[in-house]
Amino acid sequence: MSDFTGTLVVLLLLITALYMLVNQNWRWAIAALGIQYIWAFLLVIPSWPAELAVVKLVTGWIAASVLGLTRLNLPETPPASGSVPSGIAFRLLAAGLVVLLVLGAAPRLAEWSRAFDIYQAWGGLLLIGIGLMQIALRSGFFRSALGLLTLFAGFEILYAAVEASTLVTGLLTAVNLGIALVASYLLIAPTLEAEE
Amino acid sequence: MSSAFLWAVLPIAAGAAMLLYRRKDDTPLYLALGLSAVLTWIAWQFPIDAVLQLGSVSFEITPTLVLLGRNFTLGETQRLLLTFMYAAQTFWLLGAFITRPGRLFPGLSLIAVGLFMAALAVQPFLYAALLLAAAVLVWVPLLVPAGRQPGRGVQRAIVFNLFAVPFILFTGWLLTGVEATPGNFGLVLRAGLLLALGFSFLLAVFPFHSWMPMLAQETHPYALGFLMFFLPAVSSLFLLSLIERYVWLRENPAVFQILLAAGSLGVLLGGAWASQQRHLGRLLAFACMVATGGLLQAIGLGDATGLHTFFALLLPQAWVLWALSACLAVLARHTPSLQLEELGPALRQHPLLAFTSVAGLFALAGLPLLGPFAAHLAIWSGLGLQSVALLVLSLLGSLGLLAAGLRLLYAWLSAPAPAPQRGESQPRGDFPNPYIWAFFIIWGVTLLGYGLLPSFLAPVQRLVLMFPQLLQ
Repeated sequence: MSDFTGTLVVLLLLITALYMLVNQNWRWAIAALGIQYIWAFLLVIPSWPAELAVVKLVTGWIAASVLGLTRLNLPETPPASGSVPSGIAFRLLAAGLVVLLVLGAAPRLAEWSRAFDIYQAWGGLLLIGIGLMQIALRSGFFRSALGLLTLFAGFEILYAAVEASTLVTGLLTAVNLGIALVASYLLIAPTLEAEE
Repeated sequence: MSSAFLWAVLPIAAGAAMLLYRRKDDTPLYLALGLSAVLTWIAWQFPIDAVLQLGSVSFEITPTLVLLGRNFTLGETQRLLLTFMYAAQTFWLLGAFITRPGRLFPGLSLIAVGLFMAALAVQPFLYAALLLAAAVLVWVPLLVPAGRQPGRGVQRAIVFNLFAVPFILFTGWLLTGVEATPGNFGLVLRAGLLLALGFSFLLAVFPFHSWMPMLAQETHPYALGFLMFFLPAVSSLFLLSLIERYVWLRENPAVFQILLAAGSLGVLLGGAWASQQRHLGRLLAFACMVATGGLLQAIGLGDATGLHTFFALLLPQAWVLWALSACLAVLARHTPSLQLEELGPALRQHPLLAFTSVAGLFALAGLPLLGPFAAHLAIWSGLGLQSVALLVLSLLGSLGLLAAGLRLLYAWLSAPAPAPQRGESQPRGDFPNPYIWAFFIIWGVTLLGYGLLPSFLAPVQRLVLMFPQLLQ
């Protein structure tokens, strides 16, 4: 991956992840998640053959679709108007700290590991950090699922460089889809008919 | 046929098929119970990797299943563990007849146990983290049944258990480096830290335990009890496999000291918090925390003593946690909440269940004459030899759990008898129920029998043969 392409992909990854963290509209968040998987896929390509790496892209898209379709069938909830600006500012600040940490840690990690390049280290750590922020700072199962999927996408960029087992790919796919399905179930559980 | 297919793939497939059954009757429960009992019997009776002759038919249970280029191996040395796990699963399914944890319980419990077995079978075994995470995800529909508003406990449970995956998988990669250069202190330290974090999430070690009491307030005690028994049990076996496999872990005294300290802290805090609880579900969660702490302490004792103590503790703990969860689940059906203040009438109506719950808490605290006492004694002796401070912490934790049991006993004995109301039939207690009597007598006699004669289950100590390096 050339310097220009690598930097561009990491920047685009950062933009989509940040957008998911700060925005209030679930539709755009789902779209950002889907696009984020494209950039993650591009970062997995240097480590894996394209036909195996595409599994991650398709898995991510299916997970995003599952979440989106579930959310589509739920009533819209207007965002709390009073706390939004300060919330966005706080989340941006938290994300800024993550970016600073990653800028410092990624080069050392790439140098130490010798398994993944600097762009993979940047991309992977950024997604892990912002995914963690999403889980910690946003409430509700929908946002937690977005955070977990983002975190796992970051982890998979790094892990792809050190492990290319088909079984692990399959199991990680199952876990990603499991996160989306469980989050969907939890979103609709109150509306389902109770047992007995 | 391979052992992994029989004890992992088959239950998962059967459990998935049972989920498709739509009628609201007990057919899946009977089927799951039958399958589980048959798998227990096969594990008990049929050797793995030996040709068996049944009349003119000969067959063999091979130890390895190759799936997507990786091996799933359950060998002859693990046969006793398979028997134990499926026997435990059979008892949990039996308990479902009276506790009614949900229509999905039979199918999901088979899938979960299949995944747990796959986690113990997979090679390289660090992939087990993914299978354990999958088992937790599968369990969610039982923790939050349809029609119920999910709480924050289930969210935290999912997040914390999934956090374990990256840590443990990355450790696997680092460990290959550690094996190549064992003198590299920086690498060993990083691998150790990642490993410690991964297992802290997986075993809900303090401070990552908070999901357990939160979830306990939100969910069915029996569904939670199942998860809180199987997950730490399988995770601690996974931890033992790791210590068995890597020389740098096995021969590093600091590893065992950390395990002893983490376990003792778990026992202390679990016991202390248990003594303060007024909600029986939360009390169960903290009792489970004490139980997991005990398992960690047993591993932390190191060498053959620790290994023997681990299995001597695991078995009676399984028995106690099953009964405790079952009692709480039945009580929960007869009371608006599991708060001690509201539980009095239900406890008076169900004295056998109340007695079992109190005895269960006392047993987990390590009270003499009850099942886990012998193992607790071994832990306390070992702790005393290594660190008096840890022994004191551990004893304080046990005292806390004992106090929780006494508080429950007081709530039961001091509760007023339910006043008979004109025109309404008295709710049925547990005295006329033969199933409760059978459960009470069998459970009590076994617990007392094991406490008085720990050699009663001596053959089960063959479980230690799974870890020959540690045994040396």
